Amino acid sequence: MIRKIWGMARNDLAVWLRSPAAIAAALLPGLGMGLLVAVLTSSVGQQPVALVVQGKGRLSNRMAKIIRADGDAYLINDMAPAEAERAVGEQRVAAIIVVPENFDEAVAFGSAAVDLYLNNVDIDLADDIRRSVTRSAAEFDAPQLGLLGELHGPSKGILLPNPFRVAVAEHDLRETNVSFLQYQVIPIVVLIIISIGLLSTGLLTARDFERGTAKIMVLSPAGHLPLVLGRLLGCTLITIALVTPLVAFGFLTRYIPYCAEESGAHSWLKLIFSGPCAWMLSVPSWTHALALIALLLAVTLTTVGLGTLLGIAIRDERLVTMVGLNGAAYLFFLGGGFTTVAFLPDWIQAASRFVPTSYAIEGLRQALFYPDLVGFQQDLLVLSGCATLSSALASVLLARAWSRA
Amino acid sequence: MIWARVLLASAALELAHLRRNRSFVALTALAAVSFLVMVSLFGLTGSYAPVALINRDGGPYAQRLIEALAGAHHSFALKYMSADQAVIALRSGRLVGIITIPAGFSADIERGATVPIDVQIDNINVDLTSDVQRALPAAIVAFGRRHNFPGLRVQMVEHDVLPNDTGYIPYLVVSALGLDAMVIAGILGALATAREFERRTVKLLRLSPASASAVLAGKLTIAGTLATGALAITVLAIMLIYGVVPVSSWATLFTLCACAAIFTCFGAWLGAMLKRTLAAVPLLFGLVMPLYIDSGALEPTRFDGEPIWRIAHLSPIYYAVGALEWAYHGIRVTPEPVYVDLLVLAAIAVASVALTLGRLSKGGVR
Repeated sequence: MIRKIWGMARNDLAVWLRSPAAIAAALLPGLGMGLLVAVLTSSVGQQPVALVVQGKGRLSNRMAKIIRADGDAYLINDMAPAEAERAVGEQRVAAIIVVPENFDEAVAFGSAAVDLYLNNVDIDLADDIRRSVTRSAAEFDAPQLGLLGELHGPSKGILLPNPFRVAVAEHDLRETNVSFLQYQVIPIVVLIIISIGLLSTGLLTARDFERGTAKIMVLSPAGHLPLVLGRLLGCTLITIALVTPLVAFGFLTRYIPYCAEESGAHSWLKLIFSGPCAWMLSVPSWTHALALIALLLAVTLTTVGLGTLLGIAIRDERLVTMVGLNGAAYLFFLGGGFTTVAFLPDWIQAASRFVPTSYAIEGLRQALFYPDLVGFQQDLLVLSGCATLSSALASVLLARAWSRA
Repeated sequence: MIWARVLLASAALELAHLRRNRSFVALTALAAVSFLVMVSLFGLTGSYAPVALINRDGGPYAQRLIEALAGAHHSFALKYMSADQAVIALRSGRLVGIITIPAGFSADIERGATVPIDVQIDNINVDLTSDVQRALPAAIVAFGRRHNFPGLRVQMVEHDVLPNDTGYIPYLVVSALGLDAMVIAGILGALATAREFERRTVKLLRLSPASASAVLAGKLTIAGTLATGALAITVLAIMLIYGVVPVSSWATLFTLCACAAIFTCFGAWLGAMLKRTLAAVPLLFGLVMPLYIDSGALEPTRFDGEPIWRIAHLSPIYYAVGALEWAYHGIRVTPEPVYVDLLVLAAIAVASVALTLGRLSKGGVR
């Protein structure tokens, strides 16, 4: 029995390895998304702005210093007024912040202004800049309204009076040093597993019907059960074989010198390496590593089962590719890939609880980023349930479909 | 005359092929709508962070602060709930933060004291955390300004370059049209040429005395027309479901037709290069998202830095988004003029057709 299962699995592996187009079909969308994360990360948070300081006094300098100090919000370019105007026209900067000539005198009268000339091309970008400049202007009168004040002011028992009469005592929920990049890589891992699992199994199953090899399966003396189990094992091995090097690479990218934040490398070099560097996974403890393997296996089995069902239902390679790619994209986005589920309308939030990828993404983040495994049990339980259900259903339906082929 | 007849015959044949592949065509159109939906989902995360508000004061100043929070540059979607419910929601990822206005807030403000408001943030994602951290001072400033508290010396005065802000989702869905054009038209174009290699009919094309350009033109006309139809459905969805109407209908129509034609040619070249639909479709899916993001889809690309902007010039979607945002919203998202964007797209189409003809006449056959 085991030899028959293994024989079928080996055959599927061999067929798959001789199908570069199918391998590309499974890998490219996920890798494309990975590249997207790298590009997205380099553009998140900071906006290029021109700073024009026309005031010459002490207070103008202080205002300019506050703006320059907010490196999290702006990429500041000091410019003369004419150059700044040109830069806005050529889209080299998104806004011009002007500390006007009469700033010092106006402060004395309580009517000083920091002028913001804003390219309000879309509301997300415009609001980011509005918030940042408002905060910088407020810091002049109320230093504790700056980021340091929010984090280390009233929340640490240090409250300075300010003219706005309200201060912020910020308490962060988590002790974490996870970057935006690392945070976003997790859904990509899940997307790659889904794509490979769905498409590899779906295409192999559909191919059997398209090429008539399903009839040979029926006539085989090996019997249905070993062949069905062999198919599921083979596709699981295909997924593992393609995902393992990618995950291993994720653990090794930290050794690429250009990936360090303070590497001092040229921006072009950083950009070239942003793809591989984006693929940086934290090395977990052995308990977390075991949890991680269990979770990845459960996701793989779930998608292999779903892929088999897809192949049985559609029986056409091109359609399987289209449905698989569409399905993987929906599972990815509804599960929390690139979206934060909390922001979505209530009905989508409710729907996402029925999407297995949401548990996979949550579980992977928990296993890789946090010292405890809070909620992991539930994630693994749900995914194991999905894996069992989809594999069982796939086995029964595949055996039936072959016998009717 | 003969050229035109060959074109018509080729178009009729392509239409017959596509009729037999209705499911594939329907799934391609579905992919376009899917991208639109997904981009919208992403857009929803750009503003209105769900934050619980616990008002332990209930006084007039607390009410004003709440109004200021609600009006702070589309930053917060305030949710009213008990403290216990809020903590549960925060820990389960359904909230980004909890803002607590303490008891006695109004009285303390009235007597001129500075009151700290407690803010708990789920800082799992640095982008969301930064948005909240920046929005809180903006709300506090609005609160202080509204009451003309003494001691306020500096304020931000805004001068917008454009008369109106374009909403994030309206901006994103229009740029998604560029993405859709590449996916739909690209796949249909690729299907038209890859099929010739898959079925080995490319040999017949080479032996035929008919002009290859006429045959290709016929195929691409049908693929492009179908792609335009699918794009029209997407535009209708944008207008009816999202309520986003183009500022110039004719410019939008022209740009969409141009995008459909150009990406059909591009797809045809890809199909002729790869010779397999199964390879071309995932390649397009894989390419399209990174190309889309690096194309001014979320904001003008140049704001992402010079290297990214320069690389963006390699992406046809960069030029398509530039033309589409101009036609639909009347905004410029590329430093290059719109006619340059359209000219580059036309050049891509011409080059694609030339390369496709080359592949059809000389490339190896499986």
